[in-house]
Amino acid sequence: MCASVKYNIRGPALIPRMKTKHRIYYITLFSIVLLGLIATGMFQFWPHSIESSSDWSVQKRSIRDVPVVRLPADSPVPERGDLSCRMHTCFDVYRCGFNPKNKIKVYIYSLKKYVDDAGVPVSSTISQEYNELLTAVADSDYYTEDIARACLFIPSIDLLNQNALRVKETAQALAQLSRWDRGTNHLLFNMLPGGPPDYNTALDVPRDRALLAGGGFSTWTYRQGYDVSIPVYSPLSAEVDLPEKGPGPRRYFLLSSQMALHPEYREELAALQARHGEAVLVLDKCTNLSEGIPAARKRCHKHQVFDYPQVLQEATFCVVLRGARLGQAVLSDVLRAGCIPVIIADSYILPFSEVLDWKRASVAVPEEKMSDVHGILQSIPQRQIEEMQRQARWFWEAYFQSIKAIALATLQIINDRIYPYAAISYEDWNDPPSVKWGSVSNPLFLPLIPPQSQGFTAIVLTYDRVESLFRVITEVSKVPSLSKLLVVWNNQNKNPPEDSLWPKIRVPLKVVRTAENKLSNRFFPYDEIETEAVLAIDDDIIMLTSDELQFGYEVWREFPDRLVGYPGRLHLWDHEMSKWKYESEWTNEVSMVLTGAAFYHKYFNYLYTYKMPGDIKNWVDAHMNCEDIAMNFLVANVTGKAVIKVTPRKKFKCPECTAIDGLSLDQTHMVERSECINKFASVFGTMPLKVVEHRADPVLYKDDFPEKLKSFPNIGSL
Amino acid sequence: MQSWRRKSLWLALLASWLLVLLGLFPLLRLAVPTSPRAGAPQGWPRWLDAELLQSFAKPGELLEDGPRPPQALRGGSCNWGACFDTSKCRGGGLKVFVYPAAGPVSETRRKILASVEGSRYHTLSAAEACLLLLLSPDTSTGECDPVPPQWDGGRNHLVLSLHPAPCPRTFQLGQAMVAEASPTVDTFRPGFDVALPLLPEAHPLRGGVPGQLRQHSPRPGVALLALAEDGGRWHVAGTDFSACPWDGRCEQDRGPKQTHPGATLPNATFCLIPGRGPDVLHFLQALQAGCIPVLLSPRWELPFSEVIDWTKAAIVADERLPLQVLTALQEMPLTRVLALRQQTQFLWDAYFSSVEKVIHTTLEIIQDRIFGPSAHPSLLWNSPPGAILALPTFSPSPSDFPFYHLQQGSRPLGRFSALIWAGALGQPPLKLIQAVAGSEHCAQILVLWSSEKPPPTGWPKTAVPLTVIDGHRKVSDRFFPYSAISTDAILSLDAHSSLSTSEVDFAFVVWQSFPERMVGFLTWSHFWDEARGGWGYTAKRTNEFSMVLTSAAFYHRYYHTLFTHALPKALRTLADEAPTCVDVLMNFLVASVTKLPPIKVPYGMWHQEARPPPLEPGGPGLRQEPQPAAQNCINQMAAGFGHMPLVSSRLRLDPVLFKDPVSVLRKKYRSLEKP
Repeated sequence: MCASVKYNIRGPALIPRMKTKHRIYYITLFSIVLLGLIATGMFQFWPHSIESSSDWSVQKRSIRDVPVVRLPADSPVPERGDLSCRMHTCFDVYRCGFNPKNKIKVYIYSLKKYVDDAGVPVSSTISQEYNELLTAVADSDYYTEDIARACLFIPSIDLLNQNALRVKETAQALAQLSRWDRGTNHLLFNMLPGGPPDYNTALDVPRDRALLAGGGFSTWTYRQGYDVSIPVYSPLSAEVDLPEKGPGPRRYFLLSSQMALHPEYREELAALQARHGEAVLVLDKCTNLSEGIPAARKRCHKHQVFDYPQVLQEATFCVVLRGARLGQAVLSDVLRAGCIPVIIADSYILPFSEVLDWKRASVAVPEEKMSDVHGILQSIPQRQIEEMQRQARWFWEAYFQSIKAIALATLQIINDRIYPYAAISYEDWNDPPSVKWGSVSNPLFLPLIPPQSQGFTAIVLTYDRVESLFRVITEVSKVPSLSKLLVVWNNQNKNPPEDSLWPKIRVPLKVVRTAENKLSNRFFPYDEIETEAVLAIDDDIIMLTSDELQFGYEVWREFPDRLVGYPGRLHLWDHEMSKWKYESEWTNEVSMVLTGAAFYHKYFNYLYTYKMPGDIKNWVDAHMNCEDIAMNFLVANVTGKAVIKVTPRKKFKCPECTAIDGLSLDQTHMVERSECINKFASVFGTMPLKVVEHRADPVLYKDDFPEKLKSFPNIGSL
Repeated sequence: MQSWRRKSLWLALLASWLLVLLGLFPLLRLAVPTSPRAGAPQGWPRWLDAELLQSFAKPGELLEDGPRPPQALRGGSCNWGACFDTSKCRGGGLKVFVYPAAGPVSETRRKILASVEGSRYHTLSAAEACLLLLLSPDTSTGECDPVPPQWDGGRNHLVLSLHPAPCPRTFQLGQAMVAEASPTVDTFRPGFDVALPLLPEAHPLRGGVPGQLRQHSPRPGVALLALAEDGGRWHVAGTDFSACPWDGRCEQDRGPKQTHPGATLPNATFCLIPGRGPDVLHFLQALQAGCIPVLLSPRWELPFSEVIDWTKAAIVADERLPLQVLTALQEMPLTRVLALRQQTQFLWDAYFSSVEKVIHTTLEIIQDRIFGPSAHPSLLWNSPPGAILALPTFSPSPSDFPFYHLQQGSRPLGRFSALIWAGALGQPPLKLIQAVAGSEHCAQILVLWSSEKPPPTGWPKTAVPLTVIDGHRKVSDRFFPYSAISTDAILSLDAHSSLSTSEVDFAFVVWQSFPERMVGFLTWSHFWDEARGGWGYTAKRTNEFSMVLTSAAFYHRYYHTLFTHALPKALRTLADEAPTCVDVLMNFLVASVTKLPPIKVPYGMWHQEARPPPLEPGGPGLRQEPQPAAQNCINQMAAGFGHMPLVSSRLRLDPVLFKDPVSVLRKKYRSLEKP
């Protein structure tokens, strides 16, 4: 760019001095330069896009065209695999490193076709499911194209079915991968391990330190905390359209649908059927099916023919027996049908057992106890059965229904091991969405009464009512448990009074000046707050006595996870308008307390400032109203508990105690407060406020008892 | 000449231009961002013939899966299904027999024996037992035990050792399960062995020291990290730290004031505990102190890992990534820090604070395995009050318990059953029955007739069903889980109690907000009596209270199950002998579960005057000072529980408009305000 500007500056200076006969010559020269320029541009820009489009076409290529790799017969074979491998011994965690998103980076080797010396393929290049699996990984957030940044490597060598590959040669193929390094940080997927006659429960391909995501592990082959147990994918999941059937009583109590069972097991099942009649149904393969009907989709009992997997929806419990392998694809079908799997396979490590709580969705019966299975199942109450049916279906939907679900759950498990402080919780893994919605996990769940000695910090929000503020400070400072007073000076146009003018009190007094006149400033988690208990108080609340405030603090100690306040309010459903209404009359119920005078845990300041849902915080600041309603919503939503109103009703000078400049209680004000409730309820997606009919008074309040013996005599006096 | 020069000049210019252009364009190309390509086929290619790919298993291969005979047992590798015979436990569930010790009994062993004997699973007959407990010899006894008589290859045996055995076992373990402290991950058999915590020698038998956490959130300015050192000490690393706590790399610049000598508990938010070696004692210390344990690649199995979800209370991190771990700890959201801290305290109090709790938890785990589908769900193990106090036999559904309504998003049922205990009584308590039946929330009235005399026939007609149950004439019978009780809430009453419908209604509405607590009308308070050096309690009206009388109180029916099936028999016998004790016992029980005080609601003083003189000591004589024998009862209870569970409250819950200067017509519970 710079050069061309130079040329333009010099050019015109030279040309006038030239003779006319040279002009054509110069023009020719100039056009040559121009042409050269265009040509260079074309040359520089085009090849790139040609390259990329050719790249693109290469991506859209056929499996048959993948490069062939010839494995010499003497190429190295990995070691068999170390049973004592754990994440901290065999996994190179340095490759994962620090990561702000706490996500591992996964690299996939490009697809190759491996042949031995004689040119015979080592395995089928890739199966449909493994292709799906790798696609799912590549489309996920875990994927990286940069082999140098990867923390986990997935070979594209398909190991899903051991029967479809040659063990030694496949191992050789693994060993020559560019980053193999004894298999460190390599993840292998296998669903059908072992082969006749022994049927090992883990993949026989020697794999050294590689992690194995295997279907059908037993306790002897599974390396707890290192390997991942995965389901055996059932192709019927995609093939068959099976509408969901809700939980509830079903026609058969116990069903066995597996076809190739060991005769011993079949005898046991037949005996069960003989004993319990109609309730137990044992199905087998159909012998006399007419041509064209896939055998996999039919089951027979004597001459009765049943559709599979539809028949599973007719049963409450479905037997999942070990076959030659421990992992059975039927488990997936059974879960999908909302039938509770009865796992009869000793030592079988259930899929994703590291994170899934199988007790909630299945019944495990020892092989020895197979004859008692009916009795064991009969003892489960109906309500629990329905819960388990729901859970079984949820497991299928979340972790079984597609290859993608299986792959992502596997990576999530490994991810949780590497970034344990960001791991997904038990509830996230196991609770169905309906439970997650309804449940509340109180952030302050531990039942404990904080020591009185800690005291509380009073936070006074003020704008410019200095005289009233000083009175409040003087009154509050009389409360024995006050440990610090914080004045939030919300007026940017005026300086707070000089130090010497402030009332002298026995506790530290700090003034915080704010940058903007916002109501949220009252709920900011200031570093100056050292106690857990916070008293939010307006600068005009001078009518609360020291006894009342001290008692309020005592009540907060007994309910540290709640808002404990003085004036109470109520929300009501307005049937005519079909919306919520704010109520400040003398009612028999309360659902909110005003934060013009309320005790609460300082943690809620953090929540209000950083975790308030939606735009509520900005809305409050823009409208200069309803910050107290927002706080009531927040606390009720996160704890699932009601507020505690303390002490009898008093005539408060400022009836709403929210407005800084003394808004009067007029109709528009009430309308706006009602609007707040409706707005917040829609942001929260629910009405979290809880209505109660009680308030807290001292034990001996208004009892016929000498006043001077009462701890809090001065309560409720106007 | 000039033209040639000019020509050459121009040629040179042109050549340099071309060079510049050629050089510049690649740079330009770099500057222009590569536009995202359509379909973004980076990564794994979309194969043209993906549709033609074969399935990983041939159709039918999955279903056929050739048969193979059931696996024979492999020696040494046992699992629950193969090596434990549950048929022996069929009748009465888990029954545990302990082999008596030969020779002198060490202190630890005595505690274990006492714990097992105090358990509801204990039996004295080896033949009846389905679990035989063999205590490994511990340090003080020199000899190693011979093979026990009923060994049978170790079948249904649990070999338990709280401390590493000093001498090698003289016999093969066979099919026996092993419960040992901090087993290494390599030998531990999940689902079969039990991992115990490594307890200090002086661990208390019962009760135990409560957790040190006095407040929910960490104090501002508290150290972020404490690092476990040899000899059970802690090195507090402060808020600013580098990677130097690792590997002792900064040994030289460690100030003396940072190291706390002795076994002081760490005062920090996170406690780093190295994973190797016998350092596991630190783990319990951190738990007790409410310091979140950060375990660096532990080589040992975490205690009770079969049932406890340690991800909720501890962090297992990789020791090879010190900076990453430290950064993660520093940046951990406040919400998670809060949750982890509280969970450490809950777990400490529920399962680890005494030898008894550790042993009972071990037995509970075995019992859960036997129960199979009706075992404790994970929720019951991992949230307060913990699995020892939440009996799965009560109900399979957590929402039937009083503790899990929040997590389950459920609420207690909206009705109550009144349970009237009628001792020595001639007349049916007509007035009381009318008052209670008048409540809109009353579902049924049960009269527990515990008198020698046959129950009278003239029961009043009420709007709700009235049933008379014949009690067994023991005082503790009033807390039996009668199957006739169909509601979550029980209103426990004495025939002499006096209540108004309004009082009942209000108290029930309050109870619905606090279903795990007792809601009562009349209260007692306990105090430490310096003069006598023991606990005492009084019925005098004071500014606080810690017990409510069960002669008029709402509580959850689950407490009947707990009272009857979880309390040690000795304590119930005590209550039968001194009837006032039964109130104390019930309050102890509920307080030890909730760790919170009961709730008092207003009670009209006019009842007092109208009450007939008490007939029985302790029964209805509510305002009487407890007798000296009764005073002794509270101390015996405290000894039985191992600590004083009662918590005092200074508040009473009144109706919102209680005695407010508004028209009585506005008030819902106006009759509560009678003078």
